[in-house]
Amino acid sequence: MERFFQYVFDGLSFGAIYALLALGLVVVYRGTGHLNFAQGEMAMFCTFLTWQYDAWGVPFVIAVLLGMISGFVMGAGTEVSLIRNVAKKSEAGVFVVSIALFLGLNSLAAMLWGNLPPEQMPSLFPDEPGDFARIFGAVWRYEYMGILLVALILMGLLFLLFSRTKFGLAMRSVASNPESARLVGIPTGVVLASSWGIAGAMGALAGTMFGATTGELTAGLMFTIFIYASAAATLGGFDSPGGAVIAGLAIGVGEQLAAGYAPGWIGQELRLGVALVIIFVVLLFKPSGLFGSVKVQRV
Amino acid sequence: MWKIKEGSPQHWALRLVGVAVIFIAVIWVPTQMSTSRVGQFSDAFVLIVAAMSLNLVLGFTGMISIGHSAFFGLGGYTAAILIKDHGWSPGYTFYAAAAVAFVAGCVIALPALRIKGIYLALVTLAVAVLFPVLVKWKKLVWLTDGAKGIDSVRYDDLPVWPIIGELKGRDGRAVFAYWLAFVVLVITYLVCRGIVKSRFGRSLVAIRDNETAAAVMGVNVTAAKVLVFGISASLCATAGVLSTLRTGVITPEGQYVTLLGSIVFLLIMVVGGAGTLWGPIVGGLVYVWLDNTTRGFGSESDGFIGFLFGWADQSPATLILGVALVLIMFLAPYGLVGLFKRLWVKAVVVIPRPAGTPVAVQMAAETVAGDLR
Amino acid sequence: MKRISKKAIALTMAGALALAACGGDDGGTDAPSTEAPSTEAPTTDAPTDTEAPADTEAPAAEAWAVNTDDCVDPDAANAPIEGSIKIGSAMPLSGGVAATAFAPVKDGFEAYVQWANENKILGDVTIEVQIEDDQYNKDLTPGAVEKLLDSGAHVFSGIIGSPNNAAVRDLLNEECYPQLLALTGSPEWGKAEEYPWTTGILIPYTVEARAYAALIKSQFPDGANVGVFVVNNEFGQVYAEAFKEIAPEFGITIVDEQTIEATDSAPPTAQVNSIASNAPDAILAVPLGAGCATFLGEVANAKAANAGWDPQVFITATCASSLILDLAGPAADGLYTSNNLVDVLDPETAAIPAIAEYIAFMEGLGKGDIVTTAGAGWHTAEMTVAILKQALESPEGLTRASIINAARNFDQVGTLTREGVRMKMNGLTDQFIAESLQVVQYDADTRLFTDIGELITDFES
Repeated sequence: MERFFQYVFDGLSFGAIYALLALGLVVVYRGTGHLNFAQGEMAMFCTFLTWQYDAWGVPFVIAVLLGMISGFVMGAGTEVSLIRNVAKKSEAGVFVVSIALFLGLNSLAAMLWGNLPPEQMPSLFPDEPGDFARIFGAVWRYEYMGILLVALILMGLLFLLFSRTKFGLAMRSVASNPESARLVGIPTGVVLASSWGIAGAMGALAGTMFGATTGELTAGLMFTIFIYASAAATLGGFDSPGGAVIAGLAIGVGEQLAAGYAPGWIGQELRLGVALVIIFVVLLFKPSGLFGSVKVQRV
Repeated sequence: MWKIKEGSPQHWALRLVGVAVIFIAVIWVPTQMSTSRVGQFSDAFVLIVAAMSLNLVLGFTGMISIGHSAFFGLGGYTAAILIKDHGWSPGYTFYAAAAVAFVAGCVIALPALRIKGIYLALVTLAVAVLFPVLVKWKKLVWLTDGAKGIDSVRYDDLPVWPIIGELKGRDGRAVFAYWLAFVVLVITYLVCRGIVKSRFGRSLVAIRDNETAAAVMGVNVTAAKVLVFGISASLCATAGVLSTLRTGVITPEGQYVTLLGSIVFLLIMVVGGAGTLWGPIVGGLVYVWLDNTTRGFGSESDGFIGFLFGWADQSPATLILGVALVLIMFLAPYGLVGLFKRLWVKAVVVIPRPAGTPVAVQMAAETVAGDLR
Repeated sequence: MKRISKKAIALTMAGALALAACGGDDGGTDAPSTEAPSTEAPTTDAPTDTEAPADTEAPAAEAWAVNTDDCVDPDAANAPIEGSIKIGSAMPLSGGVAATAFAPVKDGFEAYVQWANENKILGDVTIEVQIEDDQYNKDLTPGAVEKLLDSGAHVFSGIIGSPNNAAVRDLLNEECYPQLLALTGSPEWGKAEEYPWTTGILIPYTVEARAYAALIKSQFPDGANVGVFVVNNEFGQVYAEAFKEIAPEFGITIVDEQTIEATDSAPPTAQVNSIASNAPDAILAVPLGAGCATFLGEVANAKAANAGWDPQVFITATCASSLILDLAGPAADGLYTSNNLVDVLDPETAAIPAIAEYIAFMEGLGKGDIVTTAGAGWHTAEMTVAILKQALESPEGLTRASIINAARNFDQVGTLTREGVRMKMNGLTDQFIAESLQVVQYDADTRLFTDIGELITDFES
């Protein structure tokens, strides 16, 4: 039983990180109908910025806030300057621009911080080796509990934003029909830019917390996490923040259980495979994910 | 502006000039250019074949796939295993790879029947990510050699060609790789062209534009989607065989076998022009040229690039490539072929003959119309 | 693909036996070609030490020589290279994490060539170097090498990555261009009969794995339980296979084997928890780059959670830099690793005149921050130039054939090699240039390594 709980806790720990980045994908998709392939790299870049602010002597909590503000500015700025102009003309263009951003940010981070004597990324939570709780004999570190808590709080906030505020309503109408949204007086541009901005800020927070668990920052920080996050968003349904978090946690736990209980067949190297096969099967039965809304197509 | 009629002598002359230019260029490259240029062209051809296969699915049928790197890898591995473990002659592995990938493509197309848009993108992305994971799987190591990959897959005896002579050494290898890739490229182009211009191709476009409407009009959507995905996968696999034969090595970490490969194929297709037959060709040549040029900046520590990026810890190649891609998308949102067409119609307009009219009747009608005017 | 002359094969028939010993039991004892070793003491005084003309003459009687008959252009392979010689290489300079890890290698390589030209190591011959960017993508390596061939490269050295080297191996062997000192530790680079023009520079993983196994046996004479943690790529796979194969010989039982993907930046929490639940006496870890510190952090966490469990940690030489280990803080204390180069951050080592000169030269180029990571590049370039020098002084003069002959009959030391380590190759008998290594232990407080036991030279033949 101790083993079981250990796998669950390990899974929840990583699942929370997948969920955090997946939330960003959901916000962008709900607001603009696009998939931002550069989401992970934006988060990585902002994590380096946070580290840089901290290295310049800014108190860490302030540095994290500055990093999130940088993420907001970067996300909104990208939408205003690049995505908007291309999106008007071609959907495929948005894909190319977001891939270009992916390549460019990755390269720029390596150019700026590649040879720096790497340093530990500080943590928002206690992260000494002894900082863990023992529950049912299994170990759960405070750091990961903190990340899970943040993910749940953000999920709640987003839920409120989407369902209880005018802004959330505006987002929904802009995503479903930008033209008529503009006609009824919704500031479409502001809505689009702020969805990218919110996603950028959330990515910065996710990256910072994740970077602290790895110890060393590299330009490849978010690559695998992005794949997991998009898997979580797909499984949960691309327009459902609750779905993203639940799916992120489920993927995390599911893959750990599979890897742990079938080390001969699956093991750690096929962990990712398990997650992806689950998605495959689920989508066959629910083509819009577990909690996504089904779009009706008219002829 | 110059107006010409379709099928008129001027139109034929224009076409002839086009064909002649391409013909000369294709001969010019391996005979007159340096080895490394020849090599770059054959590298480009490999990517073009992959992008063309993707274009069939995404550009013409509207099913997004970020999973084509898996078919590329499937082809490469099929060739490597057959040549190394079973002593096949490399030439036959093209057919085997195409057959294996066709089956795999049809199977993977099944979920695509239900899943659409962003969800399909992510499912195919999962396929791309899964492929290298499966290759490294310990239960498959007996077949794939795991993470080590398979090396020394080679054309042991390059053929003696009557005109070009013995294909050996770097010139011979590059020229051989060039012609081999060129032949595969031409076949792929002809297959794509044949499909697109056929009744089957028109039903694909109908699916792309409005699936429900296409079904209502009697298109067998299920069969069309599965078939086109299978064909696309098998074409992509031949590109994988080319890549394996060029380097003699295939590993699960090779970039074109992983997700990055799918992204490169997509970039090429979109940059060139999705849904056009020439898009992947133009896109592939431009991409390989851009990629080689920007990577060259890494070995320059002085000059303008050195002045601009002297502070950087690492080569600015990928950053410049990214900026260039954004610029292309701003200048040519429908791809380079789209841009060319837009500029071209300002210079020359080809007036199509009315559909269904026999040529003689049409010409007569035009003479009459001309007289009346 | 046999390109070695029959004469050479006959002369070294006995040598083949020693080759087996080299990769096998206790190599080195029965090497038949007792070529006169350098008369020079293996000191590390100054890089100019590498001029040891005595070295080249002694083994002349049965020296390995390449056969150029099957070359595409045999005359070109034997044509004298005059005025200047161009070294070509392909390394990841952009695109991804590999570039971040290896970009300093290029700087070190170029720095040494500049130093060598300034100090006229090759006399009147100027050395040019051109390093192309292949982004660690084996599909781009042939293009990079073709570009270098077109721009007149005479010799290739220090190409990074196993698949990348394999992708151009056929071409370069057919064309008869020396492909020296491939910067990968795969045992593939010791196939002189099949690929006479291709050699490596890193210690083969198999040798390193054996050294750790021997140390584990000495610490646990009654047998040890070992957990293995490897990165799931070519490097990790070859390493783990080598270790598993020899484990029974040293009384080692492998109780758990865990992997991590090379692109996965997440800490290996679950992997280390799994290893910890088996409570092994020692862990053999083969992580990559940034993964080294992350892994050590997880081990520290697992130790805190499993009171009383304190395994010996053996970590691969790629992590053996205080820059990397410093990140892990106290978690890195007491681990074992190995090296055949010196630690330039050790003040005592840095005070050695030749090494001080290296550091000063790098600082002069504005690259003082990367003296550790650039060391591999400097060392590779230095060995390359030493091979060229030996070829230049040979009776044939500087030709492509004489260069590979020099490389395969080579015995010298470098500025950055540890005391006692000799970089040597000897025809078919000894096909790996680096097989001596020192196991070291890291002290997190002083950030220094201390030697454990003697320098291991058993694997040299």
